[in-house]
Amino acid sequence: MARSVWKGPFVDGYLLKKAEASRASGRNEVIKTWSRRSTILPQFVGLTFGVYNGHKFLPVLVTENMIGHKFGEFSPTRFFHGHTAADKKAVRKD
Amino acid sequence: MRPTLPDRVLVGAVAGAHGVRGLVKLKCFTEKPAQITAYGPLTDETGERRYEVAVVGTAKGGVLARLEGVTDRNAAEAMKGTRLYVARSALPALAPENEFYHADLVGLGVETPDGRRLGKVRAVLNYGAGDVLEVTGETGESLLLPFTRSTVPLVDLDGGRLVAAPPAEVEP
Repeated sequence: MARSVWKGPFVDGYLLKKAEASRASGRNEVIKTWSRRSTILPQFVGLTFGVYNGHKFLPVLVTENMIGHKFGEFSPTRFFHGHTAADKKAVRKD
Repeated sequence: MRPTLPDRVLVGAVAGAHGVRGLVKLKCFTEKPAQITAYGPLTDETGERRYEVAVVGTAKGGVLARLEGVTDRNAAEAMKGTRLYVARSALPALAPENEFYHADLVGLGVETPDGRRLGKVRAVLNYGAGDVLEVTGETGESLLLPFTRSTVPLVDLDGGRLVAAPPAEVEP
């Protein structure tokens, strides 16, 4: 069953405080978190979180189209290491 | 340090024979398997031997293809393990400054702005939240860096290095 709308999106309270502090400082930093269950909110856009996957903290740069998803969706816990695609491109974001 | 970029890029390999009419299974290292023939003729590592390849179907993990001059199963089996390359110049042009091929980034040395060596780029990862560089140090420890301009201000492909300023970590 889906979560009731009247409750609003779930997010761990400490994460909101850390995000606000990080945005206010304006420094290039990664907010480490174990809270894979937290929903990505609009105020997180532009910040980088290190989301724990049981092994390490994967950097997750939050963009607009990630709003509403959970942090855990962007930090997989299982990996397949294949051959790197020869024509695959990486884009450096601003 | 990597002085020059390779002239040829590995895009696939013959994984085995398929059927009795000379078809081969190709393992593709391109983003989309069918694109293996999109970058012009395929060659061996030296570029001396050319292979005319026609994709005729899909197979698990790659495509089924017909190689010119390969007409029976024995010939197809003899091709097993052959690596297929394209010229680096045949790959599409990239947007300057911010777009890089994974193949070019992997293997670059990583330094901090003050010249301290961090290691080498082992892989470029993307799990839906931007590209991430996996850097392996000399002792084997792994460091994950978001591929952003603030974290990676300089990518010097010709010099075989990139400059990275690892971001500070904020504990919860």
